[in-house]
Amino acid sequence: MLAKARGHAPATGDSALVRALMIATALGFLLLFLVLPLASVFVEALRRGVGAYWAALVEPDALAAIQLTLTVAAIAVPMNLVFGIAASWCIAKFDFRGKDLLITLIDLPFSVSPVISGLIYVLLFGLHGLIGPFLKSQGIQIIFAVPGLVLATVFVTFPFVARELIPLMQEQGTEEEEAALVLGASGWQTFWRVTLPNIKWGLMYGVLLCNARAMGEFGAVSVVSGHIRGETNTMPLHVEILYNEYNFVAAFSVASVLALLALVTLVAKAVLEWRFGAELAATRH
Amino acid sequence: MVAAASTDTVLPSSGGTVLSVLKKPSVIPGFGLTLGFTLTYLGLIVLLPLAALTIKAGGLGWSGFWNAVLTPRVLSAFQVSFGLSLAAAAVNAVFGFIVAWVLVRYRFPGHRIVDALVDLPFALPTAVAGIALSALYAPNGWIGKLLMDWFGLKVAFTPIGIAIALTFIGLPFVVRTVQPILQDLPPEEEEAAASLGASRWQTFSRVVFPALLPALVTGFALAFARAVGEYGSVIFIAGNMPGISEIVPLLIVIKLEQYDYGGAAAVGTMMLVVSFFLLLILNLLQAWMRWRHAR
Amino acid sequence: MAIQVSGITKRFGSYLALDSVDLEVRSGELLALLGPSGSGKTTLLRIMAGLEHADAGSLQLHGEEALGLKPRERQVGFVFQHYALFRHMTVFDNIAFGLKVRPRGQRFASAEIKRRVMELLELVQLAHFADRYPAQLSGGQRQRVALARALAIEPKVLLLDEPFGALDAKVRKELRRWLRKLHDDIHVTSVFVTHDQEEALELADRVVVMSQGRIEQVGSPAEVYDHPASAFVYEFLGQVNRFDCAVEDGVAKAANGALSIATDGAVQGPAIAYVRPHDLGLSPTVGGPGRVSSIQVVGPDARIEVDLAGLVLEAEMDRERLGVLGLSPGDRCAVHIDRARVFARR
Repeated sequence: MLAKARGHAPATGDSALVRALMIATALGFLLLFLVLPLASVFVEALRRGVGAYWAALVEPDALAAIQLTLTVAAIAVPMNLVFGIAASWCIAKFDFRGKDLLITLIDLPFSVSPVISGLIYVLLFGLHGLIGPFLKSQGIQIIFAVPGLVLATVFVTFPFVARELIPLMQEQGTEEEEAALVLGASGWQTFWRVTLPNIKWGLMYGVLLCNARAMGEFGAVSVVSGHIRGETNTMPLHVEILYNEYNFVAAFSVASVLALLALVTLVAKAVLEWRFGAELAATRH
Repeated sequence: MVAAASTDTVLPSSGGTVLSVLKKPSVIPGFGLTLGFTLTYLGLIVLLPLAALTIKAGGLGWSGFWNAVLTPRVLSAFQVSFGLSLAAAAVNAVFGFIVAWVLVRYRFPGHRIVDALVDLPFALPTAVAGIALSALYAPNGWIGKLLMDWFGLKVAFTPIGIAIALTFIGLPFVVRTVQPILQDLPPEEEEAAASLGASRWQTFSRVVFPALLPALVTGFALAFARAVGEYGSVIFIAGNMPGISEIVPLLIVIKLEQYDYGGAAAVGTMMLVVSFFLLLILNLLQAWMRWRHAR
Repeated sequence: MAIQVSGITKRFGSYLALDSVDLEVRSGELLALLGPSGSGKTTLLRIMAGLEHADAGSLQLHGEEALGLKPRERQVGFVFQHYALFRHMTVFDNIAFGLKVRPRGQRFASAEIKRRVMELLELVQLAHFADRYPAQLSGGQRQRVALARALAIEPKVLLLDEPFGALDAKVRKELRRWLRKLHDDIHVTSVFVTHDQEEALELADRVVVMSQGRIEQVGSPAEVYDHPASAFVYEFLGQVNRFDCAVEDGVAKAANGALSIATDGAVQGPAIAYVRPHDLGLSPTVGGPGRVSSIQVVGPDARIEVDLAGLVLEAEMDRERLGVLGLSPGDRCAVHIDRARVFARR
């Protein structure tokens, strides 16, 4: 409330002209870089009408891509969810040596190019990779198959849940857990009944962002996918193939589904921030 | 007497494992389980594969590594990637700062929607952004046609197009790092400056801006780091001409498609090293600024 | 004996938080651990609860060695300084928590849990607040919920960490009286930590004064106030005049000989004397050694600052007495000391 009033205080407010210029600049910039690209996705998708749009979505390869994207996310997100909870538990509730290093390493995947995130798995599991030949002799294929897609996705979404939960759990401290233990609760009871309810919105926030990235990842999965239509093509990769074949309407149709997913993510994120802003405050750095 | 008394007393069990050397004792359970899982998962998913990268690049030997990296094509790709990323991060620093200022200090209709929309580049898949931007800036696109007709400027399939894509994906970083700091800035400092006779511009440039500068540099660094590695949104709009509009990540993909694993690993390693080095400089700069403005 | 602490030592890194502490807590008593911050009082309390590990020593709860036991096995009630109420649970669920997490065999039926919780809510006078969340309660109400929650598990010992620390002055006083009355009713052995001497002296049956990880004195409130065992206790409890003196043949002389105090004779040579302001008597005397430098009236009391040959002392008396003496700033007076304590200078 103070922040709102502040803008109008005589000592710290800007003149009407400055205000108008700044708002115009900001909105103009955002219009040019955010709104127009987003709008163009839907305009291009519907250029040939609803019929062509729908046809592009129900075509078998598109359906296979949608299914694959959902499958990959359904494996990768829970993996990083469990990891995020474990990592934030040991980091936020305990003091130990090397903690800062551990936090840095957890954030590492964010500073690695998506292409390199894919590349490292090819170098490890690929046909000419370090253990690829061995895996092939065992009949296990990882690269150019679903396991590779999952691994690359897990890598690029690795820190999402953990980095939401660590500051949140650090801020909540250990007193409630101590109270539960003194009252006779076991470790698991303490986690399920006390800790988890306290972090549930932060958890949901992290999962939301993790899922958006998992379903939308392009660079990393592109490297490990092999682009086999109907088999190892996720939705973003399907968009690329269609676009490169100059099948723009179909490309933008599939893209529009991903854009809708992004919009839903943004709305859900805004609702979470608005409704549970105080509880999430620690996670917004 | 005290020493004698304590010898026959029961000492608390603090795990009794190697872990207790590393960690302060605590009554909260689950440390071994969660740390063990965290380290195993981190090792398998992140560290082991990253080690594979350096092993593969190391397999080339010293001269082989430099032969793979110091080719004109690779060097110009580095120039394109890092140069345009810097440019895009600079654009974002300026406009991101203005957006953050407007979102924190002013209230206008649609304020909340604009605030939520800033995160679009985080949420929108990069491939979608890529095709949307190239459709928009192509010579027959909404904006591309205007720029062509008015200025004779070609954007898509040139380095300018790359800079636009990199600006798009780095946009939220500056806004989201400056915004909370600006929000928490105590109004008293500005009031004090005003009461001491400073003009609004003096108050801004001498009181407010220095306080926001570390956050601005952080945002710049994050936008830059993201831009250097970006692939999906760039390749559609770039034109991908070797030596002119070919970025490093694309070059890695091309080398992989040619089964030049060693070359790809070398370029990838080089890229990681250069970006970590640049980020280190930016972090040091930022630490120095925080130290100077320490309260 | 409810709690027997012997030789408990605790280090945080190189910092010695508790230095071989011995203490007995009697059954049914209300004991205060009093000391400044860093004296180790909270650490000692947390060790009793099992929330902190001791480095050495032994702790017996009702005759049973407890240091090896987990917090959940000790059956102690612990009231946290900031209450640590479960923020996502209602008042009812907070209090019921300890009963609901019991292993299946020992758990009461839900009707019985409900009955017990409602009984506790009555006890802490919050029966109408069962469905509220902690965030919807005032500080004093949260404190009472925390207490009820700790009592729900029928603890053998109740431990309270700065129970009134987070409350404002008025609520603190009310809650103090209420807690004393509650303790008189239910008589559960209780130990509370406080840095507020008034709180400790008013509330506790016995007071343990701590400093720098050691126990300075244990005694009834009157004992520790009237007969402090050490210079630290003197300075920590109540107002005190502290000045250098020299003791010769049982007489302490200070202020260039202007002041002589009879001592018990145990100390010889350079020493420090402690005199409570209300143990300092003044009488108007023309040409007397003291000079009244200022008078401050606080409610019914008066504080008089006296300059005795360069030594500034504070005396305290009620306003009526001051009126009888008729002293005002600038007047000369004689100074006599009714009671003092002298400690050898270290």
